[in-house]
Amino acid sequence: MTDPDILVVGGGLHGLSAALHLARTGRRVRVLEARQVAAQASGYSAGGVRTLGRHIAEVPLALEAIARWHRIADLVGDGCGFHAAGQVRVAETQAELARLSERVARLRAEGWAHEELADAATVRRLLPAVAPHVVGGIVTRRDGFAAPLRTTLAFARAARAAGAEIAEDARVTTVERRAGLWQLRTREGDLHAAPLLLNAAGAWGGRIARAAGEPIPLGFNAFQMLLTDALPPFLAPVVGAAGRPLSFKQSETGHVMIGGGHKGHANLDTGDVRLDVPRLAYSARTALDLFPILRDARIVHAWAGIEGVTPDELPVIGRSAVADGLVHAFGFSGHGFALAPLVGEIAADLLLDGVSRHPIAAFGPARFGQPGAVSETRSALLQPAG
Amino acid sequence: MTAAETCRAVIVGGGPAGRAALVELPGAVLIARPQATAWHAEPGHVWVEGGGRVWAEPFDILLVCADEPLLLAALGCAVSDGRVLTDAEGRTSVPGVALAGRGTGAATPQDAERQAVAAARALRADPRVLQLEEARSALDPAATRLDPVALASLLEQPVGPGRNGPALAQRAILGAVVPARPVSLAALAGLVAAMPEPIPPQRDEGALA
Repeated sequence: MTDPDILVVGGGLHGLSAALHLARTGRRVRVLEARQVAAQASGYSAGGVRTLGRHIAEVPLALEAIARWHRIADLVGDGCGFHAAGQVRVAETQAELARLSERVARLRAEGWAHEELADAATVRRLLPAVAPHVVGGIVTRRDGFAAPLRTTLAFARAARAAGAEIAEDARVTTVERRAGLWQLRTREGDLHAAPLLLNAAGAWGGRIARAAGEPIPLGFNAFQMLLTDALPPFLAPVVGAAGRPLSFKQSETGHVMIGGGHKGHANLDTGDVRLDVPRLAYSARTALDLFPILRDARIVHAWAGIEGVTPDELPVIGRSAVADGLVHAFGFSGHGFALAPLVGEIAADLLLDGVSRHPIAAFGPARFGQPGAVSETRSALLQPAG
Repeated sequence: MTAAETCRAVIVGGGPAGRAALVELPGAVLIARPQATAWHAEPGHVWVEGGGRVWAEPFDILLVCADEPLLLAALGCAVSDGRVLTDAEGRTSVPGVALAGRGTGAATPQDAERQAVAAARALRADPRVLQLEEARSALDPAATRLDPVALASLLEQPVGPGRNGPALAQRAILGAVVPARPVSLAALAGLVAAMPEPIPPQRDEGALA
């Protein structure tokens, strides 16, 4: 490739989605990935495709994104393992059900009807194996789940087919703006330059932003997941809980994935993660409490991926407040997988046109520097990772 | 009493090597199937399942007398060509951790016993300074990265070379493959009674490097 028009830092799902959308406009795009495509959160996500429980600011994006998931093969030439099996958030107490009811009423007042309040009988029809103490929940029928690694690789293939270049083992070590160009040097000493830069570096997005002169607060989590052995089918929708972190689903192979937010420990310098066994145990306990059918299951795999987390648990999506030609799309705080088909388009629009037609004001990079500007996290339901 | 005598020793494996090691390391905790299964290991303790519960068995020295490369790989032991690297006394690249018996290719019970005795004596001599010079993992990465569900399908296969080899090849791509052996979900769930305190996000003040 001759000199690119746009550099993308990060070969995860968001960076690749942006690369795909940019390349399809005829721009020359180069993705710089420190390790391999999908090496971190994108390859380790639980794969939840969810509008349910989103922060109010994320709802419009989530609804637009879910429409794209229903025709994902048109976008990337692969079904990505997407199953529109629905999602259910269960309440274990009447107090939790009351909170869910308030949530649905608030969405109705905003004009959104995608979340339906469900009584205990309705939940039991959807989840025949659910524990008897569950008193109701919320249902979103167009939600579902996909296969994260397959999805990310599909976006990578589609981006390459559209002309994007993806450089793996290309860890960016310096970022400079000179003579109207972003100049990025990698650990191997290669220099890449382009007038436009997308920071889609996930948990490392804060480091890229700082190097570009724009401090944006970003922490990170190692969200843990478990998989059981293959069990006979007993569950179709993805299940979450109103009162404790849980993301729970059964794959086509029968393996049951249990995740949702209990964390291990990560080292951002090395990319290594260490599991926290007692917290894994609590995830197992939550799953067993809600689905006693798991009593004889065995855990055959456990892992964690590193995810960037902002102070308000909303992503950073927007043009840099301090530098020309720089757009950020990182910090999805454990729930960005479902948004990726749309975020790539938004990032492409911001880079090429400077604006997006989608409502992204709440995600601006400058919001953390404005007193009182950080939005209220509680306007979302408990957000299960993935 | 010497430091070595106060060391907490754990032996994994109840075959000829494990029994011989126990003679050399009196007071050691023996983890032997089917009563107890070592299913995961972290620096300083082995996670064990037995009797319907799960617990952490602390160790200062660990002698694995079974073919459990994933358990040792979880501790960071160097692995090459599907085998854990050891010196002549069975010491791995991780101080205080050794291997004997089937995992090092012992052909007979007598060989396994001899290896276990040698490894136990080496560990007992000074567990804190064991080093394996120039031990470097030389894993051939798998041609294809497995997604978590496919890896789960592999890990639920019977434990043996047909499972461990491909799992170690995934380790070369993914990092540690956990757990070394399946563990009962109900037993694991019994480890904690209450929801742990939430952990705040880890902070990052680092720079590109």
